[in-house]
Amino acid sequence: MNCRSEALEVSVEGRQVDEAMLALLHTILLHRSTGKFHYKKEGTYSIGTVGTQDIDCDFIDFSFVRVSSDELDRAIRKAVGEFKDAMGNGMDGMGQISLEFYQKKKSRWPFSDECIPWEVWSIKVNVVNLANEQERQICREKVGEKLGEKVINIVEVINRHEYLPKMPTQSEVDNVFDTSLKDVQPYLYKITFQITDTLGTSVSTTMRRLIKDTLAL
Amino acid sequence: MAAHFDTEYQRLEASYSDSPPGEENLLVHVPDGNKSPWHHIENLDLFFQRVYNLHQKNGFTCMLLGEVFELVQLLFVVGFTVFLANCVDYDILFANKFVNHTDSSKVTLPDAFLPVDVCSASIRDNVTVMFVLMISGVFWLHRLIKFIYNVCCYWEIRSFYTNALKMSMAELPYFTWQEVQARIVEIQKEHQICIHKKELTELDIYHRILRFKNYMVAMVNKSLLPVRFRLPLLGECVFYTRGLKYNFELILFWGPGSLFESEWSLKPQYKRGGNRLELADKLASRILWIGIANLLLCPVVLVWQILYAFFSYTEVIKREPGSLGARCWSLYGRCYLRHFNELDHELMSRLSKGYKASSRYMNCFLSSLLTVVAKNVAFFAGSLLAVLIALTIYDEDVLAVEHVLSSITLLGVCITVCRSFIPDKHLVYCPEQLLRLILAHIHYMPDHWQGNAHRYETRDQFSQLFQYKAVFILEELTSPLVTPFILIFSLRRKSLEIIDFFRNFTVEVVGVGDTCSFAQMDIRQHGHPAWMSEGKTEASIYQQAEDGKTELSLMHFAITNPQWQPPTETTHFISQLKERVQRETTGDRHTLTSLSEPRSLIANFLAGPPSLASLHLGRDGSLTNHGPVGVSDGASALRSLSVSSMRGSCSSTHRSAGHASSASRAMAGSSTDARTASSGSSVWEGQLTSLVLSEYASTEMSIHALYIHELHKQQSGGELSRHTWHRQDSDDSSEGGSGGGNPNPRNLIPRSHTFPISTPGPIPSSNSGPNPDRGTTPGQEVRPLQSNSQRRYGGNTDSVGPGGRVVRSERVPMGGWAEEGHGGRHPDTVPEERSEDDMPPNIHKVT
Repeated sequence: MNCRSEALEVSVEGRQVDEAMLALLHTILLHRSTGKFHYKKEGTYSIGTVGTQDIDCDFIDFSFVRVSSDELDRAIRKAVGEFKDAMGNGMDGMGQISLEFYQKKKSRWPFSDECIPWEVWSIKVNVVNLANEQERQICREKVGEKLGEKVINIVEVINRHEYLPKMPTQSEVDNVFDTSLKDVQPYLYKITFQITDTLGTSVSTTMRRLIKDTLAL
Repeated sequence: MAAHFDTEYQRLEASYSDSPPGEENLLVHVPDGNKSPWHHIENLDLFFQRVYNLHQKNGFTCMLLGEVFELVQLLFVVGFTVFLANCVDYDILFANKFVNHTDSSKVTLPDAFLPVDVCSASIRDNVTVMFVLMISGVFWLHRLIKFIYNVCCYWEIRSFYTNALKMSMAELPYFTWQEVQARIVEIQKEHQICIHKKELTELDIYHRILRFKNYMVAMVNKSLLPVRFRLPLLGECVFYTRGLKYNFELILFWGPGSLFESEWSLKPQYKRGGNRLELADKLASRILWIGIANLLLCPVVLVWQILYAFFSYTEVIKREPGSLGARCWSLYGRCYLRHFNELDHELMSRLSKGYKASSRYMNCFLSSLLTVVAKNVAFFAGSLLAVLIALTIYDEDVLAVEHVLSSITLLGVCITVCRSFIPDKHLVYCPEQLLRLILAHIHYMPDHWQGNAHRYETRDQFSQLFQYKAVFILEELTSPLVTPFILIFSLRRKSLEIIDFFRNFTVEVVGVGDTCSFAQMDIRQHGHPAWMSEGKTEASIYQQAEDGKTELSLMHFAITNPQWQPPTETTHFISQLKERVQRETTGDRHTLTSLSEPRSLIANFLAGPPSLASLHLGRDGSLTNHGPVGVSDGASALRSLSVSSMRGSCSSTHRSAGHASSASRAMAGSSTDARTASSGSSVWEGQLTSLVLSEYASTEMSIHALYIHELHKQQSGGELSRHTWHRQDSDDSSEGGSGGGNPNPRNLIPRSHTFPISTPGPIPSSNSGPNPDRGTTPGQEVRPLQSNSQRRYGGNTDSVGPGGRVVRSERVPMGGWAEEGHGGRHPDTVPEERSEDDMPPNIHKVT
């Protein structure tokens, strides 16, 4: 709807899933994070610095750059871990993990705050089973190359001058940025995933829509 | 964590906690803040719809009041009915029982009321009444909640108008929608309501407001919806009521489990051709369930409809009995006549302008037998009435005699009804002219009407679009009974076609979402070779819009939204057409002389009597000067010329038809209906230009519509037999799709009734014109003429392809008329990493 959606697709082996996901999610978040804002009295602010660090993958010939914030890393690892558990280990399968950047909008009393997404990255994962070690070696390199391409893709998308939420004033900073981390400040984001069998809208969104529809009759 | 120390990219320790003194001023940012809450709106569809509704309802207060009164009305209808049924002692009212008053002999109304306790007891004892009360209570509560919800939403829209668009609610009625739209387009640059694009276009806004309506129009255009039935006694008839429409929309668009997952996107499985049969089964069973639910709810809805009709129409019938004889545009007519991307108010003003001519046209067909009968009945009824009235005048006690008052009323109604069957002595009718005048406003008409305006078949078909109000009410009343059966027996069989339709005709437009591809108004994809887009269209028959809908819609949209920048081919088409029409208007007399009737008719039409034209021009001179602001010179010249001459010519046709009312008055009337009646204020002055512009636009559109129709008639000559009017439910098309084992897609195109087989039917040749006797001339006479005209146009415009052949084989879409395996070879879009049978929708990147 009123949000950009970008789709990526990768085919990996079972044990590479979490590293591949981490690589992509971290790459996106690297470009969607800023330093902490320090507001001054006159309504101006200065931005703190953000460190980055290189991460080498164990199962893929690939290294990526991420924001050096352990808290952020922990949060993402947790989400990816859940995703991997849901996929089931070592099985063929498809899944989709999506990283959604949103904005909160305060609304009047009877309604709760709305979360309005403005950019959604969905990463489709195909898990393949490989027969022998040689294939694994090839896959290791192949996936590394593919991930490199994806990273370039991401950077290209991000380099386009497209809509980003405007820089907020102090009172509104929580509506745009996730200020809970103490060393970095990404845009508000949400990570969700779907496994192929359950592709389809979740129950809660269906219910919400049903109520809204009946009201809008 | 070893990696942390290996790399040279390290975070500066403690940089986040506090910066060293002196560095504070090095890099200071100023937040731009979200001063306006209007950037990045979540549901733009709803948002634009609400903006439009608020504009149409003339501001917040009017809307609020209207809704409050609706709620009160609802309470009143239910309460009053229950009261009448349970709390009135009718014996007293009919004086069958006497009240024993000591002081006076007068019976008062309160005497007839039962005491409160008796009344409430009788209500409580009556199970059905309690049931009805409960249901209506729930219904009312639902409406109340919805009302409160709406108030909150529209309050937001109100502040959008005042803060972002800078229009106060008080002056909102003086702005036209085009102006509101222009401002929305303008503030998009500043606020970014829609985040996909830097700039919104008019078409985007229309697409969002009319997303589902466009689908409905397209489905009616392609005869997909079962609204036409062949009944044993009545012949062919159209049944399309609000209840039915509601159910269609419920099934397709927003109900639980509908094809759309949100307002703006079709569910992904419906975009793929892979499991269309399964999806069709699913849809069929859903339709079945909704049909059964309708059947179960039918008593409730029926009672409601009857009550509502009773309370809303009895008063009107009593006040002016003739109103039931009056006609209105049927719901089907509104769907059939609607352009793609035409907003409600545009459609309504167009149809209202055509109303007078249409009702005159329908009045042409008074049966002389009925007239004789009616005259005599009126005579007898009139004499009885006269005697009764005379007696009453002499002594009003006559009224007290039983049934005298009621017979006076009945006789009055009877005479009024009879009078409507007696034609006015001083009127002369020319149906052909009238039909042309109607066409100028309604823009669509089946081919075979032209030249057959005097026939009863034409009249009957026109009456499907333009029905009696009484019939309308009757249909609404029977709708709860009929709707479930239509759903269960008729719509269910169409489920596969519906699935195919939504897959084939949905495109994803960036920044808008999934829309009906017809609404893109792309001549290349949906043009019809018989309607000016010969050589430009690549559409297969399945993809062509009927009745020149694509072409006319395109013209209409381009004319109503002059700021709109269409894609290049489309621009080419529009400018070419405009140029042609303009050439006609500037009057190259020497080229026109040799032409056949229709073109010269337009020439006549546009030239008009010079005296009249100049007179009108003189009177409207000031307006014409205001008019062409911001429009290119050529267009403005055309516009002013065509308007003035149109006025003159319209009145001339009227005069020739012997009617008193003049077209210029109709035009002036329409500007009052554009709610500018309150003149004299300064606001009025400011709005003048845009109003005049929109007036010009509608006239220009009329001319273009007439021109396109004439050209179509010329081009298709005697061979046009592909009228949608007689199209049947083409069941064979779906069979061809599902069971077809024939690898050649060309053979799979069914020879259904829709196929243009050359049957020289009762369609007139192009030069028969208003002369009805030549209506049955066979095609021979036409052919040389047709080739002549083709050569002529070919000489003028180089883009008309030789012979105008249309390449079909490649672009035949899957489903419907092509077989399944064909989809893999679809040339357009098969992105990587997709299986062969996953046929994606046509994804258009429209930027």
